[in-house]
Amino acid sequence: MGKTADLLPGTLDLLILKAVSLKPLHGYGVLLRIQQISGHALEIPQGSLYPALYRLEHQGLIVAEWGQSDNNRRAKYYTLTAAGRRRLREETEGWNRLAAAIAAALGTTPDEV
Amino acid sequence: MWSRLRSFVAALFRRRQFEHNLSDELRFHLDAYAADLVRDGVAPDEAARRARREFGRIDDVTLECRQSRGLRLVDASRQHVRYAFRRLRKSPGFTLTALTTLAICLGAHLTIFAVVDAVLLRPLRFPQPDRLVTIYNTYPRAGVPDDGASVANYYERRGHIDAFSALALYRTDAIVTGNAGSTEREFVTRVTPDFFETLGVTLALGRSFTDAEMTPETGRVAILTDVYWRERFDADPHVIGRTLRADGMPLTIVGVLPRGFDFLSSKSRLYLPLASSDDDRRSENRHSGSSSHMVARLMPGVTVAVAQAQVDAQDAAIEAHDPQAALFASAGFRSVVVPLRAAYVASIRPTLILIECSVLLLLTIGAVNVANLLLIRAGRRSKELAMRQALGASWPQIIAEVLVETTMLAVAGGVLGLVVGAGGVVLTAAFGADRLPLGARMVFDWRTVAITLIEAALLGLVMAVPVLWHARRAHMMGALTAESRTSTSGRTANRLRHVFLVAQTALAFTLLFSAGLLVLSLKQVMAAPTGFQPDRVLTGQVSLPYRIYDNTRRLTFIDRLSTALHREPGVSAVGITTNVPLSGNANRSSAAVAGFTPQPGETPHGVYSYGVGAEYFKALGLTILEGRALSSSDTRHHVAVVDEDFAKRYWPDGHAIGQRLFRGSITAGRPDDAFTVVGVVAPVKQAALSEDDHLGAVYYPYDESFDSSIYVVVRTTMEPERLAATLARVVRAIDPELPVNNVRSMDARVADSLVTRRSPAVLAAIFAGIALLLTAIGTYGVLSYAVAQRRREIGVRMALGATPRQVCVQFGAFGVRLLAIGSLAGIAGSWLSGKAMQALLFHTPPLPIGIITFVAATMAVVCLAACLAPSLRAARVSPTEVLAQG
Repeated sequence: MGKTADLLPGTLDLLILKAVSLKPLHGYGVLLRIQQISGHALEIPQGSLYPALYRLEHQGLIVAEWGQSDNNRRAKYYTLTAAGRRRLREETEGWNRLAAAIAAALGTTPDEV
Repeated sequence: MWSRLRSFVAALFRRRQFEHNLSDELRFHLDAYAADLVRDGVAPDEAARRARREFGRIDDVTLECRQSRGLRLVDASRQHVRYAFRRLRKSPGFTLTALTTLAICLGAHLTIFAVVDAVLLRPLRFPQPDRLVTIYNTYPRAGVPDDGASVANYYERRGHIDAFSALALYRTDAIVTGNAGSTEREFVTRVTPDFFETLGVTLALGRSFTDAEMTPETGRVAILTDVYWRERFDADPHVIGRTLRADGMPLTIVGVLPRGFDFLSSKSRLYLPLASSDDDRRSENRHSGSSSHMVARLMPGVTVAVAQAQVDAQDAAIEAHDPQAALFASAGFRSVVVPLRAAYVASIRPTLILIECSVLLLLTIGAVNVANLLLIRAGRRSKELAMRQALGASWPQIIAEVLVETTMLAVAGGVLGLVVGAGGVVLTAAFGADRLPLGARMVFDWRTVAITLIEAALLGLVMAVPVLWHARRAHMMGALTAESRTSTSGRTANRLRHVFLVAQTALAFTLLFSAGLLVLSLKQVMAAPTGFQPDRVLTGQVSLPYRIYDNTRRLTFIDRLSTALHREPGVSAVGITTNVPLSGNANRSSAAVAGFTPQPGETPHGVYSYGVGAEYFKALGLTILEGRALSSSDTRHHVAVVDEDFAKRYWPDGHAIGQRLFRGSITAGRPDDAFTVVGVVAPVKQAALSEDDHLGAVYYPYDESFDSSIYVVVRTTMEPERLAATLARVVRAIDPELPVNNVRSMDARVADSLVTRRSPAVLAAIFAGIALLLTAIGTYGVLSYAVAQRRREIGVRMALGATPRQVCVQFGAFGVRLLAIGSLAGIAGSWLSGKAMQALLFHTPPLPIGIITFVAATMAVVCLAACLAPSLRAARVSPTEVLAQG
């Protein structure tokens, strides 16, 4: 149920939005896409993926539609909504600011104090 | 926000599809992952297993997905409801008691509320009803609070008061319709042309009256109500121009009213012009209103106060030229503008509020009772609750559980209450609600249903509070030990239960006392001397059509009627009068006494004036105190009989006989017009048995100057009702076109006049009875619990030598102490309620010792009886058994 230590809290939602923003994906596709774009560096706990998808859909950030998968099975495809796109942009900026700040903080040497 | 709601609602209402899709989606994931693993070279079986393992527990995932949609709360409540239901079913005694209590209390409240709603709350069924007002002349210092409005008032105000957009005059009347042999008396309302426009009603067919139709000669036109049109004219669309016979004359139909039109509680099925003569319209006659009433519509945005100021200004301008103005002014004359509805329901309002208060009191007692039963139950369950809390049930979960349970209980009680209330509404409608203004409109509709259910739900929430408080305390006090009798939590919970019981006792005491007050007041009214002998007297009304029965023919008719009736077996006296006491109409006019000069500051008085014929005094059984009664030979003689009140006011020295007075006008007329007093009778209750105003009455010999609608009063030697057919037959033998109406014995009239006192007394007594029963249940519950809780202590004490008797007395004394405190508080409540009810009571002090004693005794008997069983049970506790249980 809880998130793994590999993933910072709240970052799963951001990664899902990013994955879906590139191309409509089904749940398993989202998982693969995140692994692919993170260079397989991030371990996504499979169980927490779906609750996150349902939560984002509930919030109106993504919409789902049933379609055909590559192997001709019924699959649910998620697409980013306008609100989702806006959220992705905001969160990305926020993340970058935070990352830069932390990088700067961690890069500090004794003489710079 | 919107998208969340939509996704929640979609998930909620398409639950099966939601679940189906969810499992499909997860299965797809597992299959796809397994397929990828197979492609990487894992064996198919192993792949499926790994996929499952890495995914985690599917149940947890689905649960979390549901939670993301906000479905968790729904699922939890569903479970709470199921759980609460199971628990309620497990204690059927408690559930049944609580449900019955709630059903009766909520049902009683619903019934009374339906009446209050119909009479006091619902707007009148006219467009912008809050702009409708009535204007009436009042002479408070002359004992005439409401004298209606006169024809002259109508003509002087119409078009001259800017505050009103329309203004009309109306008067109820009765006419005889139909042809000889099949005549009927029909209630009608006589109205001015602008009546329907003022109310904002458009006629369904035809037109309203015209100004030209407002004279006796031209006013031979009629407007039908929809009911009359359907019944008598078969809903003929071409009815306009057809005629109907009324009082032996043809009336031309000019209009038909829309379906459902109903002016206040009017029984009228026909509307006729309110015809008047030029003389009626002169401003000298502006004070002779009484039987006609005014209704007006305020201009948009104009307040009653503005209209009142304009009416006052006009009155002042007109009265400035009136030589009698000083007299009227000293009687406190004013033309009052009042909202139509308020004026119409003013007399019944305090009574209804009283009944509503008493039923609210009952509802409170019921709620306290159920709350206490719940609290006792919570006490029994506190160990279970503590255990569950220890096992991880969260506080919010317990709150939800308790709330669901009490609300469910209350709403179920409310639903049953709807059944009780529906029965109550039907009963009330059947018994006399049509005698309330607008009471006939009492309805049981979605509005009353919604109010009752909301009330029930709120009650459920409120009742949860003490239970939650109890649970919270138990929780904080270190759960598992809380139940032991020594713990603080146990003691405070007990104290709360006792406070509730005391409160319940006090409220029931107050309610019982209030019912007692009403009954005592009713008895006082019934014991008050009426001044006549109502037993074995039959009365009936005959309307002699004005155009056929002119002057002498009316007197001939009366002569023939009384002679013929007198010949019938079983008749001992026959009288004729313009009005009988307690008939519901009371015409007061003025009489001036020759040689009487009012003291400075003394005001002229309205007096009841009657035209009587044949042996009226003997027939009604009035007591002649001095002089003689009037008889048939007095007709057209200027003699009169006055009552003692009148005689005492004008001739305090006691020399009434031989004095002279003038009829009608306040100023003395010509000496020839004077009536000589020939007798004094004991005063009679005129309008109500409870009247105390001693206005006085004057009886004149009946002649054609009196109203053409007369009452026949027959004293019989048998059951008066058995003579009704004879009365009708004798009247028909003289004139086949004349029906007799309003036939009632005087006893029935007396009983009818008491209805506004009897109904509240009966209702309050019923409510008090229920309250008493609830208090008994409450006492029994609390005491039984105390005994159960202290079994171990009792056992130990009995093992140490206490006798069963001592134990029994101990619990009895505990019950008595609670009862005593409750009764003391009840006496304080009774004093308050007695003071509040003073205006509605008749010759009844606010705190009569007799009633207090009676109530205290009743409460004591009932509550001690309720204490008895638990106390005896305490005495039967077996020490060995208890101690063996450890």
